[in-house]
Amino acid sequence: MASVTASSVKFSSVSSLIKQNQVSNLKKASLSFTGNAFQSRRLPVRRFHVACAAKPETVNKVVDIVRKQLALPDDRAVNGESKFSVLGADSLDTVEIVMGLEEEFGICVEEESAQSISTVQEAADLIEELLEKK
Amino acid sequence: MASTVKYVRVSPNSASLEEARRRVFDFFKTACRSIPTIMEIYNIDDVVTPTQLRSIVASEIRKNSHISNPKVIDMLLFKGTEELNNIVEHSKQRHHILGQYVLGRPEITPDSATKEQGSEYLKNFFRSNYF
Repeated sequence: MASVTASSVKFSSVSSLIKQNQVSNLKKASLSFTGNAFQSRRLPVRRFHVACAAKPETVNKVVDIVRKQLALPDDRAVNGESKFSVLGADSLDTVEIVMGLEEEFGICVEEESAQSISTVQEAADLIEELLEKK
Repeated sequence: MASTVKYVRVSPNSASLEEARRRVFDFFKTACRSIPTIMEIYNIDDVVTPTQLRSIVASEIRKNSHISNPKVIDMLLFKGTEELNNIVEHSKQRHHILGQYVLGRPEITPDSATKEQGSEYLKNFFRSNYF
């Protein structure tokens, strides 16, 4: 899953940045980049909700904030797909991370969207969505 | 005027632990969102950062995390909201905020203030009344 994300993000930075067409570009890109193992898999339905995959620097900023909040040692790998609960965050930590992201990016996360965040990637996607709407 | 905090009418009782949980998170979010106001009112920008204040609030909430009775949680939330209102409407002063929440926390003020050369007895004495 992580490799699909990475390859699709790389392709989006290379291709033209037309927002409307970005979804279709990504779909084409990820299917052509995937190896034999993924051939039979369809993209998960979740992708259709998100307008575009989060930019790498957004994901990196989220990872930084998570790392600082949970006081993780540097050798603990945090990538897009790490769930907060796996990294040792309880629910209050998750809310605190969301607050930290709110402050960092200057956005306002509503109640329902905040409840559904469980991985780093989802947080980054939500941030991208909110930044676009502003 | 200074209220980013809405004056919430405290609804009777949380029906369940889950609702009390949600209220705790709402309170935490309200507190975090009023942190910039607090920093400006009391001019504590040079002493703490918003991130540190956030973790202070979180640790205060975590101190009571073992409670499972929704009514007790409601009471604690009420006291917390009252305290937050007092702080936001400038009823307190800078030394209250600093003394109650900022100083004495090892991660924020490093232990250079404590006297290292004292004896073990003295260190225990400074820490608490009972040892």
